[in-house]
Amino acid sequence: MTPLLKSCLLTLALVLTFVVGWEWYWRSQNLGLSYNDDESLWAHTRKAIYRSSPSRPVIIGSSRVKFDLDLATWEATTGEKPIQLALVGTAPRPLLTDLANDPNFKGTLIIGVTEGLFFAPDGSFPEREATKRVNFYPRWSLSQQISFHINRVLEPWLYFLDEERLALRPLLTNLPIPPRPGTWGGPKFPKEFSIIQFDRQDVMTDAMVADTAIQNKVKAVWLDIGAHSPKQTMPDAMVTGILNSVKKSVDQIRARGGQVVFVRMPSDGPFYEVEKMSHPREKYWDRLLAHTRTPGIYFADYPALSKYRCPEWSHLAPKDAATFTQDFIPILKQKTGWPITIRPTQKPALTASLPPHQ
Amino acid sequence: MVFNSYSFALFFVLLLVLHNLPLPWKVKKINLLLASYLFYALWNPPFILLLWLSTVVDFYMARLIAREQRSAPRKLLLTVSLLLNLGMLSYFKYGGFLLENFTALLSAMGIAFQAAKPDIILPVGISFYTFVTLSYTLDVYRRKAEPEPSFLNFALFVTFFPHLVAGPIVRPEDLIPQFKEPHRATTQQMTWGLFLLSLGLFMKVVVADTLLADSADTIFGVPFPVQPLDAWLGVMAFSGQIFCDFAGYSTCAIGISLCLGFVLPDNFRYPYASIGFSDFWRRWHITLSTWLRDYLYIPLGGNRKGAARTYINLMITMLLGGLWHGASWNFVIWGGLHGIFLCAERLIRDWSGKRQRSFAGQNRSDQVLAGTVAQASMLPVSWNGRLGNFGLALLTLFLVDITWVFFRAPDFGSAMRILLSMFGVIPNGAALLTSLDILKVSSVTVILIACHWAMRNSSLVKLGARLPWWLLSLVWAVMLMLLILTQKSSNSFIYFQF
Repeated sequence: MTPLLKSCLLTLALVLTFVVGWEWYWRSQNLGLSYNDDESLWAHTRKAIYRSSPSRPVIIGSSRVKFDLDLATWEATTGEKPIQLALVGTAPRPLLTDLANDPNFKGTLIIGVTEGLFFAPDGSFPEREATKRVNFYPRWSLSQQISFHINRVLEPWLYFLDEERLALRPLLTNLPIPPRPGTWGGPKFPKEFSIIQFDRQDVMTDAMVADTAIQNKVKAVWLDIGAHSPKQTMPDAMVTGILNSVKKSVDQIRARGGQVVFVRMPSDGPFYEVEKMSHPREKYWDRLLAHTRTPGIYFADYPALSKYRCPEWSHLAPKDAATFTQDFIPILKQKTGWPITIRPTQKPALTASLPPHQ
Repeated sequence: MVFNSYSFALFFVLLLVLHNLPLPWKVKKINLLLASYLFYALWNPPFILLLWLSTVVDFYMARLIAREQRSAPRKLLLTVSLLLNLGMLSYFKYGGFLLENFTALLSAMGIAFQAAKPDIILPVGISFYTFVTLSYTLDVYRRKAEPEPSFLNFALFVTFFPHLVAGPIVRPEDLIPQFKEPHRATTQQMTWGLFLLSLGLFMKVVVADTLLADSADTIFGVPFPVQPLDAWLGVMAFSGQIFCDFAGYSTCAIGISLCLGFVLPDNFRYPYASIGFSDFWRRWHITLSTWLRDYLYIPLGGNRKGAARTYINLMITMLLGGLWHGASWNFVIWGGLHGIFLCAERLIRDWSGKRQRSFAGQNRSDQVLAGTVAQASMLPVSWNGRLGNFGLALLTLFLVDITWVFFRAPDFGSAMRILLSMFGVIPNGAALLTSLDILKVSSVTVILIACHWAMRNSSLVKLGARLPWWLLSLVWAVMLMLLILTQKSSNSFIYFQF
């Protein structure tokens, strides 16, 4: 046997040992299996928009609609699963424009509004990130699609294939290195915060729900983000410009027979108080509905929706998300008049209780 | 299809199996050709037509050129081939750029002209395969090579997937002879090929994409000045990124090719240990620099027509070399700067040589300066010690880094802003890079320079033979572990856009 072949075989043995050990380690941490919510998963989901209906709406927005609308419960209630296109930490306007410009999209759209993100100016980070995703879709090559389907086979079996939490980049980012004065490396969420399922549902982990110390870490992240966010209020002309562009997109969708509704998901505690101050309802939410002449559901207006508490001020725990969704659907039906079939009340399907590879 | 993807892993495994089945050589070559077309088509299927057009036209043009004895028809046939290849390249790569500059020119002359923005998509790898086919036609025209009688061999030479989209830019003599005889990798070739593939992926996915790209993107992406430390680190990050990205691709290509039993030429030889710019171009993108030398610089007259023409030829070559990288004035400036540095180096070398001869005339025993410019030193001093050479290598890298600013910056204004930030001309720039960014960029840069310097006069093959087998295995395993840790990378190779 040549030395090179010996090297090759030893390398193989070392790498296999490493992979087994690495996988075993992460499984032992009880973090839960999480799918990569990357461009390909988004593009794969985006392909389904042409089959949307009032019972199977397309959802865009930021993280709150991803946590709070429980897709499994929705499916158990209406018989159909929504198409979740919302993107965490982004402005949904580029997605709205994309759907409006797609002549084949004539379906039903739920738009989650987190004012700080929804009204993020053009060119801001939340807007750019959403634009990147939109731009990726038409360039999703056959090769990338094949890679996606191979990855789809591997991901349910290997915990460590979790780019968001367990890849080299997040592991390095979470190293305890003293920060350089005057710089900010972005939010550092605890690994236990949440997992993502293949249908792009975000779910808080059991550890997060159970442990207030982890919840406090996430609260600290919100404070950190708040401290690094622009403080100045938006000029009225800029708000009007955004409202005009949203109206144009909504009108385009409606002109093709599509339907749109805005929703404001719950937030809680100091987070909600700050949101009310930075984005007063009458200046943003009410104007949005009036300007676009579109129905909207604001959680605080409905006792059935405002009874929930967010463990980290911004998102619902899985069990609450399930019952919230059950409560939300009849309100949506009543508010919009959409022909949504609601099955007799049954126990919520609870996405989070599904086995991780479902 | 990119090498750092699951789809390529599947493709490569299937192809390796197919290539090692007991099939006739011709069938194996057809398999390789079809696989290469598939490799290319999975990006954007329609662009395969351009590849076919280029292949078919150059194959038949070369045959006609070889058969034709009269000068004028030969020139006409060559012109047809050049027009087709360079025409396609110009349309797809430079169409928008030319129109934009034409509009700007008219506007400067006070003529209002607004052209519709052309919606042209650049076919991946067009600059590379155009140069591959051009070298074949030009070699046949210059009677340096006979036309290849087998269309299959020629088509495979142009399309062979490892080099197709980002080089190395192969010459007919590199590859066509290898297709004439059955080739299958030996165990040694297969294992070394897999090692090179691992190394290339490690350079691309771990070093370029994960450790460096974010810092470079941050600094080159902001529209305001930054602190000198941030500006320098951003440029060093890009310097490392572009090397690891491009050399990583070439290393993968060479490794993949070797696994199939074919040898591709080297494309990089530790360029960040170069002493001077002519040395740099003997080590950076070697197959492009030799292509430009053989098909542009020498036909222009090279250094055979006097000093002034030599400098002009150098500048033309480097300016066009810059433009080859992309349709932007920044690339032209990048090429121009390299041209200026090469000319300056040549001037210094000539001046140093004259001084040397003058000294030698005065004092025959004075041998201090002899051999000083064995390669291409920048300064007329006897820095021929190891430390002195290292200093010159750092000076060269410093200047190379200055040129990278123009290569990476989205426009001239941004490039100037970063340059001014680097030298502290703009006060109160923003601090953007975090402690982790600083740690990553500085440690990778130091390791990269150290590796290049240590390997300056060596090669990976020699190093592989010298290392104990278990140590090589350890290095290999660590690279693969980091690759697995990093997981998939969605970033495409930078040179695909060229």
